Amino acid sequence: MKPEDFLAEVELAWCPGCGNFAIRKALAQALSELGLPPHRVVLVTGIGQAAKIVHYLKVNGFDGLHGRTVAAAAGVKMANPGLTVIAESGDGDIYGEGGNHLIHNIRRNLDITVIVHDNRVYGLTKGQASPTAPAGYRTRAQPFGVLSRPFHPLSLALAMGAGFVAQAFSGEVEHTANIFVRAIQYRGFALVNVLHPCPSWNRVQTFAWYKDRVFHVEETEHDSKDRLKALDLVLRPTERIPIGAIFESEPEPTWEEKHPVLREGPLVSRGLPAAQEISALAAEFL
Amino acid sequence: MREIVVRIAGAAGQGVQSLGEILARSIFRSGLFLHGELSYHSRIRGGENTFTVRISDRPLYATKHLADLLLALSPEMWRTYREKLRPGGFVLAEEAARAEEKNVLSVPALRLAREKLGLPIAAGVILLGAAARLLGLAEETVTEAIREVFGEKANPNIDALEIGWELVSDPRFELPKPQFRRGECMLLTGGQAVGAGAIAAGCRFLASYPMTPGTPVMEFLAQRSERYGIVGEQAEDEIAAINMALGAAYAGARSMVTTSGGGFALMVEGLSLAGMIETPVVIHIGQRPGPATGLPTRTSQENLLFALYAGHGEFPRYLCAPATPESAFYLAAKAFDLAEKYQVPAIILTDQFLVDSYVVVPRIVPERLQIENHTLSSEELVKLEGYERFALTESGVSPRALPGLSPHLVLVDSDEHDPYGRITEDLAIRKAMVEKRLRKEEGLRQETEGPSIFPEDVGGRVVLVGWGSTFGAIREAVEMLNAQEDRFAHVHFQDLWPLRWAEIAETLGTAKKVITVEGNAWGQLGKLLRQEAGIRPVRPIGRYDGRPFTPEDIVEAVDHET
Repeated sequence: MKPEDFLAEVELAWCPGCGNFAIRKALAQALSELGLPPHRVVLVTGIGQAAKIVHYLKVNGFDGLHGRTVAAAAGVKMANPGLTVIAESGDGDIYGEGGNHLIHNIRRNLDITVIVHDNRVYGLTKGQASPTAPAGYRTRAQPFGVLSRPFHPLSLALAMGAGFVAQAFSGEVEHTANIFVRAIQYRGFALVNVLHPCPSWNRVQTFAWYKDRVFHVEETEHDSKDRLKALDLVLRPTERIPIGAIFESEPEPTWEEKHPVLREGPLVSRGLPAAQEISALAAEFL
Repeated sequence: MREIVVRIAGAAGQGVQSLGEILARSIFRSGLFLHGELSYHSRIRGGENTFTVRISDRPLYATKHLADLLLALSPEMWRTYREKLRPGGFVLAEEAARAEEKNVLSVPALRLAREKLGLPIAAGVILLGAAARLLGLAEETVTEAIREVFGEKANPNIDALEIGWELVSDPRFELPKPQFRRGECMLLTGGQAVGAGAIAAGCRFLASYPMTPGTPVMEFLAQRSERYGIVGEQAEDEIAAINMALGAAYAGARSMVTTSGGGFALMVEGLSLAGMIETPVVIHIGQRPGPATGLPTRTSQENLLFALYAGHGEFPRYLCAPATPESAFYLAAKAFDLAEKYQVPAIILTDQFLVDSYVVVPRIVPERLQIENHTLSSEELVKLEGYERFALTESGVSPRALPGLSPHLVLVDSDEHDPYGRITEDLAIRKAMVEKRLRKEEGLRQETEGPSIFPEDVGGRVVLVGWGSTFGAIREAVEMLNAQEDRFAHVHFQDLWPLRWAEIAETLGTAKKVITVEGNAWGQLGKLLRQEAGIRPVRPIGRYDGRPFTPEDIVEAVDHET
């Protein structure tokens, strides 16, 4: 299928100039390149401007609660590991409200891809600081500027042992699509943090601001197979921002591969218990 | 009715629960009915734990305060529980209890366990061996029970049983005659029954965070995961648990969560999501006293109104509270079937008393279960030209497809959505969707059962009304009251929502007086009866000290009230 075939013909409720348009385009392109039939893909999203993407693409969709995106995606994958499961939402959803689910699903290592739209602000609720907003960032809700340090998704994922950790920039659609392809293909938990401007609320990290700072890790000497070098890359204080595959390990057995019940096939294909199974169950108590 | 009440009392870590289970199994294997109540402190060592076993010639679903035989695993337990003996009661106590008292036999169980077995923990089994002989149980029956409970570790405990057996000579009690043959009845706890009902209904997925007394259901399913094809996952928190369950249910696995009131509080937004995306999920709430952490290991019925009204927005749900382990099995299965059929959340309300109590019940009959598939098959799906997950229908129930089984896409949304599932702010669609969701409640209402009514005509009687696990205590209380003066009745709810309230109003409207008996202080069922059926119960008989009702408690409270 062509990338256009994945785009739903509906009105898009994003603001003009929003980075979400490019992310949508990149994901459609990635799904097309991967040759995935739309009905074998489940896109799980939460709430926020980014999460609306589920309505703008033609795949199966579970648009759940704010913050619970990764938890719901884990449930989908556990029930039917044959489906390609992508959890996608904003930085507030996945790093703020849902931070605990992110941490523990990195531990689980299900074969799911988590795509986070990181614009450092809350769009839908009008401009409050998100967990990735820089310290000192002033908004109507943070009149003294943000007093906390920003959330650092890449180092967190690396430290927790995620197998595939990447960053993308919405200003580079082809590159972003390529990262999505690699993340979805990766057998195990994959995190892609997508930097994108919010023209309505974020007047600091603009398109031009990112454009001046991003660089492709593929064009450097960076060894993306080395977790400690990847940590060094993302933690070393610098003005410049790496994009690309920061880290990619040899896949380890996934949660679903290790589960003895799921090795027998997906839960969805099991029928209802036969009468003799229920009798055997009752016999435990006789 | 003939009954003997045996209480085992010890500190946490002395094996009270295992000893109780051995005793319960021995009685069960002797063809007798029993109720075994576990009462424990929220700690791993120390405290006072008891297991109270009522032995009888008929089914029992309540516990008693006073015992005929006390097994005190330490002198402190003898001092604590000696007051709770019936006249003529007897005590078997660990050495150092004051043996000069006529009704106390003190036994050097700990010393014998150390010297003869090198296994101090077996002291309890030595006492149990002596108790078994006093009760008139057959030694081989108790040996079999020890093998069932301890498995590979049975042998030293069988030696301990023999040591205890030799400490006494003749039976002191006379057991009732056997009432059933092997295979006719089952011995199980309410928690095991909920788990077994879930398995029988085709539960394939469980995600939960440990919380007493919801955890036994989680462990029951986890232990049988491979045998019955169930994926069970300990979630990072209760919020994750319900959202994982909903993800799994969306993908086609019958799913459940198990928790207590505090964990359910965390799940409430997810409950509302289940209502909105019309995705079935079964929620087991083992109640304990609150607010907040409350009394973690005690029992209560404080969450009726919480379970009924939890969740923002308006959406249908099924709510039930089993009275006995037997009905816990059938109602858990029914909760799964109704959740699937009407695409709603279904809540099973139990409590610590029901979850942890061992009861002998009639053998379950698989044929009594109504478990059907309620989703579209791949064959049905490919025949469809288009598919809308939330198609507007007369019943409100939209044919449910699962993602990945056909080229049709399945979209669900926690935002208000159109029939396809796409986010909408079209207010005419919004109105139609609210009405569609609420129409499902009318179908559901025809599937629930009204309360059990005893005797059949409650006209002119003082009616004690209860729900859930208080069934046995209220029924026995009404029998005791009627033996004095035949003017009492018992109406008991298991299905709690949605109900056909007009029928209930008609039944209870003929009563002289309605008194609710509930494990809470507000009289929550009383409030519901007032609101939905226009019945005005008098001041409720409530118990909120964390202990279960006994029949005597209720008789005393009714005497006081009337």
